[in-house]
Amino acid sequence: MWNEQFEALLRAQLPFLPDDEELRPELDLREFGLDSLGVVDLLMTLEAEYCVRLTDDILSMETFATPGTLWAALAGLQAEIGTAVTPDRND
Amino acid sequence: MGPWGYNDLGKFIAANPYARRLRRTADDVLGYSLMDKYRTTGTDYSEYAQIAFLISCLALMEHAEADLDGELVACAGPSFGVKAAVAYTGVLPAGEAIMLAARLARCEEEYFATEHADVLTQSIARTPGPVLAEILAQMAQRNEWYDISCRIDEDFYMVSMREPSLERFLREVRGAGGLPLYAMRPPMHSSVFGALRRKAEDEVFADFCFGDPKLPVICDHDGSVATTGAGVRAMLLDSFVRPVNWPAVVAAMKDQGITKIYIPGLDSLFGRVPNTKRNFTVVPINPHTRQKEGGL
Repeated sequence: MWNEQFEALLRAQLPFLPDDEELRPELDLREFGLDSLGVVDLLMTLEAEYCVRLTDDILSMETFATPGTLWAALAGLQAEIGTAVTPDRND
Repeated sequence: MGPWGYNDLGKFIAANPYARRLRRTADDVLGYSLMDKYRTTGTDYSEYAQIAFLISCLALMEHAEADLDGELVACAGPSFGVKAAVAYTGVLPAGEAIMLAARLARCEEEYFATEHADVLTQSIARTPGPVLAEILAQMAQRNEWYDISCRIDEDFYMVSMREPSLERFLREVRGAGGLPLYAMRPPMHSSVFGALRRKAEDEVFADFCFGDPKLPVICDHDGSVATTGAGVRAMLLDSFVRPVNWPAVVAAMKDQGITKIYIPGLDSLFGRVPNTKRNFTVVPINPHTRQKEGGL
């Protein structure tokens, strides 16, 4: 599904997720410490790292609800601009 | 104050000795068990959540005082934080500050049950001032009411508007690359809430006697400095009708030569925006840092 880079960037914004706990696609990101400013920081970081710009309906708190919703949005944008991400995780 | 629930503050208040003492004070003056109410009915900005936030801020500062590096020179309490500033600077004793916060919460609830019931305050990030101005100008052209309730950073604002305007506003913010965060219901900090200010002054403030603060209090809407009880009282009342201007507070603190700020409580906003981090060393004092330091 997502790659290590995505997971590392996301984990950096989740202070309450232990390092040894799996980042599951349906994890409630707010519950594990992703608050509003964390979302802003994560948005800027993801855009810089993946060379994309999130706009319109993707720019909502629902996009940042779980790892699954966020990755789906990011992957969708990359597909639109023809940038492939090498998957190195399948779950 | 952020939208914190029982899970965020409850454990700290139950376990920390400073917070426990303040909780007992709260129970005495309020006549109910704060923790029971907070656990069972504590919505994000309820009376109980506001009191829990207030006593956690006070307890954290009291607990941390021994470790502070240097003398405190001023206190600022933006938005909900102004009540914590009132209590911390001794303008009101803790019990009275708790009662004031509770009665103001009830006063607001009563007011918004019948007045401005369709108004909300929406926070938006990554929306620079000129971009927001363009969006708001379009709202004005459509004869839609709005008011900027809070300026937090050069691209971070809170805007009050009527519910029917929200959907289009959010669409335009997103279209410009901005990120809508959360909507606060009831709203806050708008010039149209003059009747609420009068209600609070007549029904609540008349019962409290404000002493002079032990530290200068920096006003959250213009950065002016209050050094008297009357000045702090006016600042509190004006917070109903004047927008928060955090950059003005930052500028005022810089003018006072402040280089380090301590932020007690769960800080979801003011201590973490670039304007604050760029200008000061920010020391968060929150339940998690105190717990890690053996603060329980």
